[in-house]
Amino acid sequence: MDRKRNKISLNGWQFVAIPSALILLFSFYPMVQSLLLSFQSGKGSVYHYVGIDNYIRLLSDPIFKQAVFNTVLYLVVQVPIMLLIGLVIAQLLNNPKLRFKGFYRTAIFLPCVTSLVSYAVLFKSIFAVDGILNKMLVSIHLIAEPVAWLMDPTWARVVIIAAITWRWTGYNMIFYLSAMQNIDPSIYEAASMDGASKFRQFFGITIPMLKPIILFTAIISTNGTLQLFDEVVNITKGGPGNATMTISQYIYNLSFVYTPNFGYAATVSYAIVIMVAVLALFQLKIGGEKR
Amino acid sequence: MKKFLSVLLLVTLTASMLAACGSSNSDSKTADSTDQGGASKKKVIAWAWDPSFNGAALKIAKELYQKEHPDFDLEVVDMAKADLEQKLNTNLAAGVKEGLPDIILVNDPNIQKYVASYPNTFADFTDKVDFTKFSPYKVDALRVDNKIYGVPFDIGVTGMFYRSDYLEQAGYSAKDLENITWDQYIAIGKKVKEKTGKYMATINPNDEALTSILLQSAGSWYITPENKGNFVNNPAMTETLRVYKAIADSGIAKPVTGWSEFVGSFNAGDVATVVSGVWQVSSIMDAKDQSGKWKVAPIPKLNVQGGVNASNEGGSSWFVLNNSANKDTAIDFLAKTIGGSSEFYERFLKENGGVGSYIPAFSSAAYSEKPEFFGGQAIYRDFTDWSKKVPGISLGMYTQEAKDALKNELPNILQGADLTQSLTNIQSLFEQQVK
Amino acid sequence: MKKITPIMVHTFLILASIISLFPFLWMLMGMTNTSSDILKGKFGFGSMLMDNIHKLQGMTHLGAAFYNSTIIAVVGTIITLFLSSMAGYGFEIYHSKAKSRLFGLLMLSMMMPFAAVMIPLFRMFSNMGLLNTPTAVVLPSITTAFMIFFFLQNTKSFPRELLQAGRVDGLNEWRLFTLIYVPTMKPTYAAAAIITFMNYWNSFLWPLIALQTQDKKTLPLVVSSLASSYNPDYGIIMVAIVVTTLPSVVIFFLLQKQFVQGMLGSVK
Repeated sequence: MDRKRNKISLNGWQFVAIPSALILLFSFYPMVQSLLLSFQSGKGSVYHYVGIDNYIRLLSDPIFKQAVFNTVLYLVVQVPIMLLIGLVIAQLLNNPKLRFKGFYRTAIFLPCVTSLVSYAVLFKSIFAVDGILNKMLVSIHLIAEPVAWLMDPTWARVVIIAAITWRWTGYNMIFYLSAMQNIDPSIYEAASMDGASKFRQFFGITIPMLKPIILFTAIISTNGTLQLFDEVVNITKGGPGNATMTISQYIYNLSFVYTPNFGYAATVSYAIVIMVAVLALFQLKIGGEKR
Repeated sequence: MKKFLSVLLLVTLTASMLAACGSSNSDSKTADSTDQGGASKKKVIAWAWDPSFNGAALKIAKELYQKEHPDFDLEVVDMAKADLEQKLNTNLAAGVKEGLPDIILVNDPNIQKYVASYPNTFADFTDKVDFTKFSPYKVDALRVDNKIYGVPFDIGVTGMFYRSDYLEQAGYSAKDLENITWDQYIAIGKKVKEKTGKYMATINPNDEALTSILLQSAGSWYITPENKGNFVNNPAMTETLRVYKAIADSGIAKPVTGWSEFVGSFNAGDVATVVSGVWQVSSIMDAKDQSGKWKVAPIPKLNVQGGVNASNEGGSSWFVLNNSANKDTAIDFLAKTIGGSSEFYERFLKENGGVGSYIPAFSSAAYSEKPEFFGGQAIYRDFTDWSKKVPGISLGMYTQEAKDALKNELPNILQGADLTQSLTNIQSLFEQQVK
Repeated sequence: MKKITPIMVHTFLILASIISLFPFLWMLMGMTNTSSDILKGKFGFGSMLMDNIHKLQGMTHLGAAFYNSTIIAVVGTIITLFLSSMAGYGFEIYHSKAKSRLFGLLMLSMMMPFAAVMIPLFRMFSNMGLLNTPTAVVLPSITTAFMIFFFLQNTKSFPRELLQAGRVDGLNEWRLFTLIYVPTMKPTYAAAAIITFMNYWNSFLWPLIALQTQDKKTLPLVVSSLASSYNPDYGIIMVAIVVTTLPSVVIFFLLQKQFVQGMLGSVK
């Protein structure tokens, strides 16, 4: 490596040192503590060292398995749908000739400003048996009688997926829209002149140009879904049965709802860390980082 | 960037204006309480979760106590119940003492769990309060290893609230609803559905309220006093689930998926009966147009040995933390008010509709009141009568784990799976969970 | 190949907008209705607005909570944006093997569920004597791997020729960052500001633990305690929800022009 490059690299540390130190302090120090805790078991403030017993328990824990299954299901179904819708909408809104685009943009973004409590109160009342959705579906004769959405395992999962998609599509769209500002409009003009259809422009220009940011949202969404908690707790409480329970909710239950076993809760958390890390690496590989 | 900064400035300004008018109409108390240094006198801090119920109760207690102890002061910090539990667990597990209050409200099923998980954390009340003056079942819930760890507060003695107009239409009088069994209840429900088109009850498979009520009415619980699963070879459990399924299958129960829907269904007049704790009175009375149409009967009983027409749903107690700076003041405050003042319980009922388990208060005027809404029935006298019959049980340490194990299997049971097999599954899932 | 007509585009977007906006309409209607009307699923506006507002004011210190939330969100957002963009810039522009390893490590911090690190974090802030201060709420997320990652990804499309030009003009490394990078990346900053502001504004779990007295509470904590009483009044809750939601909406309105300058020849 030549000397000039070395100097540039050294220059870089002044930008990254402080932020990195802060993350190391406020995230890694607690993470190491929690790793140590994952080798202990007990209740509340009474703990003893149990080696890898917690990890063994994890492998034969039916609730954990159910939670992993649900979480992966959300991941596989919801993330691709949401990202694709977000991209399509961003592309449509990025058209300077489109009318009312300010309205659409605001409308579609708005769901993600709602706080958790609001979100839960709203969705529960909309999907209630007597709720407005059932009333509307009955009145247009799509269904004969009200559906108890949240009592059926399949429908309950559909509601959760719909809720997450509702809340986070606009959020992802924002990232795409802001990244699209860096695409030179003349590229599209040239493509149009060459007679490329909108579909071709979308797949041939937009997606490749936005690759870094698509990768970013994919990793963030994967991460978010694997840590999915608030939506489920507030809308279905994990029910019916444990049909919608997620890994994060299980961690929460182990720590704060059940007789607290923070040791085992830490073990379950590390299971998430490992899963996210593997998926993120995988996505980075497929995403084809240049270097 | 300039524009960005001006936006931030604007928001900050708006916020401080809002804050200013906010604190001015709350007599600028917020400003004073910011500098609560070490010099503060006897200010006791309490955590509670419902400002219009248990928070309000503390304020009554404070007024009563201040008559004798004018320098006493109390600050109630409101938060949601789940938030309170989470905050408490975090503080105790981290071993951080600053920031913990002197007094906390504990939901009864959490009592043993907290005492066992955080030893030497909660003050022993065994000889601070005369517990013979409280309903025995309530005191049983507070007893861990022969010590009593708190002051009994509200109870949830259950009753069957019913719409007398619907039941009359179906041909039933008040007499027909006294001391019935659940099978009779279902039969009545079918008749009501047929004659009035209304549902008899609501059902929510995500909520364990009904199964809990049924179990306690037969003196049983999800777990044994030794904290083992109580699912197999437990006639009360088998009967409870049989009744639960029968209600679900009979078509007399309207499905609801949450608390608000549950309340909404009887406020809208969709159901003829509500089996619930006495604290449900205030929600029922919210539907002002239904005044005079409601009455209360004892709940139906399970057809097993020890089954009675009385049970309990919910309830909480006050704990004091051993490490608190004002421990003695806090104990004395609770013991003299919530732990031993009839006046407190009369005011709590009159002002907030709260019912306690303090027996001397039961004979007071407040408890013999006959609300117009319930057709002049002396409902509180009836509830307190029933409360004396509620079987005492040990709630144990793992109530929530056991409820969740049951919830996991409930959909299968409702679909007709073999009950014995299901109960075995629940038992083994529970044992796996509390390892 | 099928042709996409403007009608199709508008139909799709209108549908998406209706779905997105419906819950907001529901919340605005709720604000004007009684609790039992809301539970019965009444679709329409009522006349209880002022009543609900008065009741809410009587119940909580909404003003103080609003103030606390604002301080935390505004100060937090400014510092977070500064630190994270600095790091994202540093990691991408001055790329080196050691730095990309460090970045990979930092990314790991995003993957830990918060509930699992809360207790050690709480102990740490107690030792630092910072509990019950806005500082305690802001510090743990003052730089996030998430925001660094966002800036890093956006920096990939930052035209580096600008930096070379700056160097030729004799600017030092900090000036390159503040005078060239920051103004160029305005859209990225605007998007990041919206996201970060919302995160602080809506954050719940950590403020719940770190803040202890009534007067220090933030808005979501107040709303949460309203919604979980034994007999919640949904009319009042809806008012509180609207108050909580509004500022994020306003921020979005004000900043959206920044990040969507349109393709109308706006050159960077």
